[in-house]
Amino acid sequence: MLSSLRAKFIRGEEVKYISHLDLMQVCARAIRRAHIPIAYSQGFNPHPQMVFGLPMSVGVTSEAEYAEFDFSSPIEPDDFVERLNKELPAGLQIVEAKAKKSKGNIMALITTASYDILVSSTKKMGINNVNQKLDEFLSKPALIVKKEGKKGVRDVDIKPMIYRLKAEALKEEETGEEQEQCKCSNPVILEYMSKLSAIDTKKLSYEIDNMFCLSMLLSAGAAANLKPDLLVAAINETSDIEIKLVKVHRTGLFVGKEGRIIDPLDPAVL
Amino acid sequence: MPLKISDEILSSVEKPSRYIGNEWNSVHKNPNEMKIRFAFCFPDVYEVGMSHLGMKILYHLLNERNDTYCERVFAPWVDMESKMREHDIPLFALESHDPINTFDFVGFTLQYEMSYTNIINMLDLAGIPLRSSERTKEHPFVCAGGPCAYNPEPLADVVDFFMLGEGEEIITEIMDIYSEWKAEDSSREEFLNRIVSIEGVYIPQFYEVKYNPDGTVNGVVPKKDHYPDKIKKRIIKDLDQTYFPDKIIVPFTDIVHDRIMLELFRGCTRGCRFCQAGFIYRPVRERSHEKLLELAKKLEESTGYEEISLTSLSTSDYTRLAPLTEGLIKEMEEKRVNLSLPSLRIDSFSLDLMEKAQKVRKSGLTFAPEAGTQRLRDVINKGVTEEDLLNSVSIAFNGGWNGVKLYFMIGLPTETYEDIEGIADLANKVVSAYMGVPKEKRGKGLNVTVSTSSFVPKPFTPFQWEAQDTMNTLRDKQRFLKDKIKSRYITYNWHESEVSFMESVFARGDRKTCDVLIKAWEKGCKFDGWGEHFKFKTWMEAFDECNVDPDFYSNRKRSYDEVLPWDHIDVGVSKKFLIKESEKAHRGELTSNCRVDCSGCGATAFGGGICVE
Repeated sequence: MLSSLRAKFIRGEEVKYISHLDLMQVCARAIRRAHIPIAYSQGFNPHPQMVFGLPMSVGVTSEAEYAEFDFSSPIEPDDFVERLNKELPAGLQIVEAKAKKSKGNIMALITTASYDILVSSTKKMGINNVNQKLDEFLSKPALIVKKEGKKGVRDVDIKPMIYRLKAEALKEEETGEEQEQCKCSNPVILEYMSKLSAIDTKKLSYEIDNMFCLSMLLSAGAAANLKPDLLVAAINETSDIEIKLVKVHRTGLFVGKEGRIIDPLDPAVL
Repeated sequence: MPLKISDEILSSVEKPSRYIGNEWNSVHKNPNEMKIRFAFCFPDVYEVGMSHLGMKILYHLLNERNDTYCERVFAPWVDMESKMREHDIPLFALESHDPINTFDFVGFTLQYEMSYTNIINMLDLAGIPLRSSERTKEHPFVCAGGPCAYNPEPLADVVDFFMLGEGEEIITEIMDIYSEWKAEDSSREEFLNRIVSIEGVYIPQFYEVKYNPDGTVNGVVPKKDHYPDKIKKRIIKDLDQTYFPDKIIVPFTDIVHDRIMLELFRGCTRGCRFCQAGFIYRPVRERSHEKLLELAKKLEESTGYEEISLTSLSTSDYTRLAPLTEGLIKEMEEKRVNLSLPSLRIDSFSLDLMEKAQKVRKSGLTFAPEAGTQRLRDVINKGVTEEDLLNSVSIAFNGGWNGVKLYFMIGLPTETYEDIEGIADLANKVVSAYMGVPKEKRGKGLNVTVSTSSFVPKPFTPFQWEAQDTMNTLRDKQRFLKDKIKSRYITYNWHESEVSFMESVFARGDRKTCDVLIKAWEKGCKFDGWGEHFKFKTWMEAFDECNVDPDFYSNRKRSYDEVLPWDHIDVGVSKKFLIKESEKAHRGELTSNCRVDCSGCGATAFGGGICVE
């Protein structure tokens, strides 16, 4: 009887340019170094039995990726995390692992993803003003964009795929407005900003002072998938906000069950 | 990771993982605590450079030193280069992302002639003056080694010093001296003065080249009495005792050879007369199979690689192949590590071995008869007969293989059209051998691929005096062969003759070709080994503008008494022996393998390996 685990991991700055396939190879070799009893597939060219949730685009970081592993002999989740983390390159880190009993695989279960993305506006705008414009954008009856799929470019209404969209300021606003401000508190985003400020910003094609964070919850997975870059394109096309995408960071992946979205490590979906 | 190169740039180029570093087993040190910073440069892209065993060895060897930080540098691909130039980003090292123009050493490995313009380009990108004479104390020392360094002259104006032969010992000796020199406030020349007496060090600016009126070399003369007349290459006598890393870098992305490389031995006993590697790496020295098993185990543990490859010039000649492969299969089977066995001579032993070791599809086997007739194979001392080849393919076809690749050279000395027709005949006989195997035993769908490269005469081979066929002759021969191959089972591939011509110029070039190299680079030549970037017309313009005739180097037959541009380099194999071999070649006489009989090539002078066994 095979035993299985589902693990949550971080994909940091150091490894964000590694493609999805290469990342699987990096993991497979780390597992070998850690002497973890991974199961192998049958057949001509046996490969380690692991499944990664939702492939990521190159350049995207994440604090909540999921993968599943099958083993030829049982291994304790904590033992797995400790041993594998010792063998993973900087930027890749397992946060938590739990035994998995169900048959469904993570790739098929994911329905929703949350992101914090960094954008730079062509003109300086107060965060409340941005949010007002985003509300207008979202109140349109439909948001038709051109989406490139396997069968060529087609029109898609992305409105039903947007569950939440909010702008957050990266530093205290200087406008002195009295309304409550939305401020970004994601440490990954804030650290990235501080590193960005340290480099020669003259070499960037965007204005670093006009940057803010967009926090969002979108459809993801096999049934409907909306990537942040397409949403940004739609915002540029149908609202009077004009922004350039600087960085995408995934903050969560969720399993849909009976109309709710749940953490993939929740016992209800393991 | 410091954000030294912006994400805006990295996300706009192809394969950004080429430029990020941080791979497993890469070495990171605090630069401020280091006395010596060494940029190990491979003049090609990451995927090619990372596949090179020599770099893996020397990188870890240098980093074993507490006072030295060795980092890797590769040629940025053209898209990245244009971004770097646009944003004034100097060439940087992969580990620290620091610009290399502040390093102590910038060392290039010279693996093939067509990478030379990339060296020039990398120096320029780094902001280091291209010519040795233009560098001052604030610049790094530019050094080079590797197989092409045996004729260092085309890079003589660029490189401050060459290290000839195997690098493990010489590089350590040089670092020791540098460390002392750096503590003082002496001149650049003083450092070079201190290393000139180290065996294997060649400092081109310490030598003057004199020419004859006809353009040939009259002599290479040391400018001072204490500079050596002849520079002797270095070898490691005992491979079991020398350094070999027990961990190697595991790249994030697919490279050309993405596996553990076990170096069984250095050198080759065969003495094929066209093969430079067969002469410059003499004498043959083996690692013991016990040592290799130990290394394989350590490397598998430290890398997690799922494949081990046995690398050497001719794997089948390793005297302990049976116990080694037995041990490896036993050790690695349960770990699910595959064994890959390139350059095996195909016989029943090796096919049996491949069945046991590799879970691969029985598709392609490679053979290199090199020439189409027995006469010409004897000329080049390739000790393979038609019977050997047909026996091997029959064994393979009977074992279920259905694809065969056959490698040949065209333009070999004494070649006639009969020899070229022989290539087609041999391929046809391979097809017949397949047809002779009962249908139920052979694999379905025969595929025979014939590939021809064009012969490039190389220094330190018995053919170093030969003229290369002109490009037109080579093209005629390719066309002739194409017409002779009629079977639908046979595919024919050939190399572009322009590239072979250029290789031939720089393989046997003298110092005058250095100007051409820089001129060609100025006119936009780089990545010449990559078909899509090779600009033949531009190269010809560069020759023209520098008043250098490429045919003089490629298509001219030399006499034995001509001073060759590399005559001051001593690889151990004597000129007398090479002349003898050249004469035997023209008589079609064979020379025996070192294991059978010593033919007195001169490599015994090193007192190591097979010569003293």
